[in-house]
Amino acid sequence: MRGKDVRLEGVAITYPNGFTAVQPTDLRIEAGEFFSILGPSGCGKTTILRAVSGFVEPSAGRILIGDEDQRGKGPNARPTALIFQNLALFPLMPVWENVAFGLEARGLSRRARRDKAQELLELVALPEQADKKPGELSGGQRQRVAIARALAVEPAVLLLDEPLSALDLKLRQHMRAELRAIQQKTGVTFIYITHDQGEALTMSDRVAVMNKGVIEQVGSTDDIYSAPHSAFVASFVGEVNQFAGRIVESFGAMAQIETAHGRLLGRNPARLAKGTAAILFVRPEQVGFGARFNNCFDARLLRRDLEGAFVNYQIETSTGAHLSLHQTNTGAVPVTVGEPCHVGFDSGAGLLLPEGPVARTGAEVAAQ
Amino acid sequence: MRAERLLSAYTWGFLIFMFAPLLLMVLSSVNDISPPSVTEWQGLTGKWYAFFWMPEDALRTDEVLRTLDRERFVGCFGNSLYVAAFVVPLSLLLGLAGAVLLTRWRSRVNGLLWWVLLSPMLAPGIVLGLSALVFWGRLGVNAGLFTIIMAQTTFVAGYPMLVLMARLQRQPIELEEAALDLGATPFRVFWRLTLPYLAPALISAGVIAFMASMENYNTTMFAKGGACTFATEIGAMARNPNGHPPVINAVGTIIIVLTVMAATAHTLLARREAQA
Repeated sequence: MRGKDVRLEGVAITYPNGFTAVQPTDLRIEAGEFFSILGPSGCGKTTILRAVSGFVEPSAGRILIGDEDQRGKGPNARPTALIFQNLALFPLMPVWENVAFGLEARGLSRRARRDKAQELLELVALPEQADKKPGELSGGQRQRVAIARALAVEPAVLLLDEPLSALDLKLRQHMRAELRAIQQKTGVTFIYITHDQGEALTMSDRVAVMNKGVIEQVGSTDDIYSAPHSAFVASFVGEVNQFAGRIVESFGAMAQIETAHGRLLGRNPARLAKGTAAILFVRPEQVGFGARFNNCFDARLLRRDLEGAFVNYQIETSTGAHLSLHQTNTGAVPVTVGEPCHVGFDSGAGLLLPEGPVARTGAEVAAQ
Repeated sequence: MRAERLLSAYTWGFLIFMFAPLLLMVLSSVNDISPPSVTEWQGLTGKWYAFFWMPEDALRTDEVLRTLDRERFVGCFGNSLYVAAFVVPLSLLLGLAGAVLLTRWRSRVNGLLWWVLLSPMLAPGIVLGLSALVFWGRLGVNAGLFTIIMAQTTFVAGYPMLVLMARLQRQPIELEEAALDLGATPFRVFWRLTLPYLAPALISAGVIAFMASMENYNTTMFAKGGACTFATEIGAMARNPNGHPPVINAVGTIIIVLTVMAATAHTLLARREAQA
C-alpha cells in the first residue's frame, strides 16, 4: 500500500439550502502523511472529508488525489476509504465478510477474500474473531474491524471521521497509538477529522485548524500549539489564559499591551503596531507562583484540582481576572485555597495576536 | 381504585364484544342443524367439516350438503390461491420499490408521493374494483382472474410499502454509504445489504399481502366478472335466502385456528430470536 497526496484547489462547498459549509480552500496533504483537521462541530471539517471521499461534490474548485482530478467520480470510484464516526459495520455479516466486502466488489474469489481478511485481521490484532458478528465484539474490537475493512481495498487515502469519539478514555488513548502505528506500517495517507485537540496533537504529522468553513492555520503540531497564527487557533487548541487590550508600546519582537488588568509584556511575532486591538495569550503551564516574573499579579487561590500527574489551580487576580495555572505534581502545596499569593509569567511566554473570534469555553458550550 | 375497576370492566366488555360472535360461530359449526344455531342444540357433528373430504355417496344422503356445489367451492378456493400467487410477489415488488423511493430519495415531492402511493389503500374498494373493470374492459380484456389480480395489487401493494418503509427508516444510511465507499455498485449495495436487512420485513409483508388478497371481497366482487374467489363464494353462500349452511362456520373456525397457530408460532419465534 502506498499513500498518495491530496490537493484541494479552490474548493468551496455550498449546500442546496444556501449554507456555505466550506469557504474557498487550498490545501495540500502530502503522500503518506498523518494529517488532522481539527475544529469545533459545524466548522466544515466533515464536509471536506465527504468531498474527498466523493459523497459531496464541491460547488467550486477541484480535488486531486495523486495528480488525478476526482471531479465526477463517485465514492466507489475513488482511491479513498472512509471510516465513519459510527463505524457503519454491516451487522448481518460476520467480521471477515465485513473486512472482505470491498474485495467482493472487485470480484475476488471467496477463498482469496477469506485469506486477505485473515491477513488484515492479523494486522489489527484480531485474528481469532473472523467468524463473529460485529455485535459480539467490544467497542475497541469493532474499531479495528472498521480499520481492517477500510484497508482491505488498499486505499491511497484513508479518511477517518472522529472514529474514536465513542470509546472511553483509556481505550481512546490506546487506539491513538495503534492508529499511528498502522499508518506508519502501511504508508497510507491518513486524513483524520476530530474536535479533540489531544487526538490531533498526539497522532498527526501536521494539523489544520478550521473554524466556520475556513482553515485558519496549517502546521506541525508544535507550531499549532506554540505558535498559533490567530486568536481562534490559540484559544481552540489547548487551554489558554487571555487578556484583551490595545498595544501601547512595540519594540521589535516584543510589545506591551494595556489591559483591564494592567500592562503586560509579550512576544509580538505579527509585529502588531501601537494602537492595535490585540489579545495576549498565555498557556496555564507557563504561569507560575511567585513574584519573580516580569508580568505579575496580586492574586488569591480559588481552587486546587488534583488531576494526578498535574495540579490545576484556579486563581483570581486583585483586578478580577481569572487565571488557570498548571503545575506538575511534586507533592508540595505552594499555596492553600483562599490564601493571597503572587502569580505571573515571563514575557516570552505571552503571545500577542490580533483581536479576533475566540473559541467558546466549556462553560459557554455547556450553557448553550 | 374505581378507575381501575372501570377499566377492567371496559376491557372485559371489549373482549366479549370481540370474541362472543366467534365463539358462537365455533359452537354452531359442530351443531347438527342448518341454518346454524346455538340455541337449538341437535347434537355434536363433524359433518360440516367432513363436507370437504366425504365420499360423493355420503354427501348425497345429507339433505343440506347435497344442495351445495363442492367442486365449485374448491375451485373458487383454488382461484384465490392462484390470485394470491400473483398478487403477493407483485405487491412486494411494488411496495419495495415505493419504500426505497420514499426513504432513500430525498425530495420535496416526497410528501405528495406518499399520499399518491397510499391512496389506493384509502380509496373505497368498490371504486378500485370498478375502475379496474372499466380500464381493462376498454383495453379489451374481459373481467376475470386477471382483472382481480390487477385490482387487488393496486391497493395490496400499500401494505408491504408501509411495513418495509418502517424497517428501512431504521437502517442507518451510513451502512449503504460505507458499502458504496468500499467500491460496491448501488446494485450490490442493495443485494448484499438492503435486501438481507429487509428479509424479515419482507416475510411479514408477504403474509399480510396474502391475507389481504385472500379475504378481499368488495374490490374483487366488481373486478371478477364471471370468475369467483374464496371470499366471493362465501359471500354468495351466505346470501342464501334459507340461511347459510354451517359449512361456512366450519371454514371460519378453521381460519381462526390457523390464525391462532400462526400468531403463536410468530410469538415463539420472536422470543427465541430475542433470546439468541
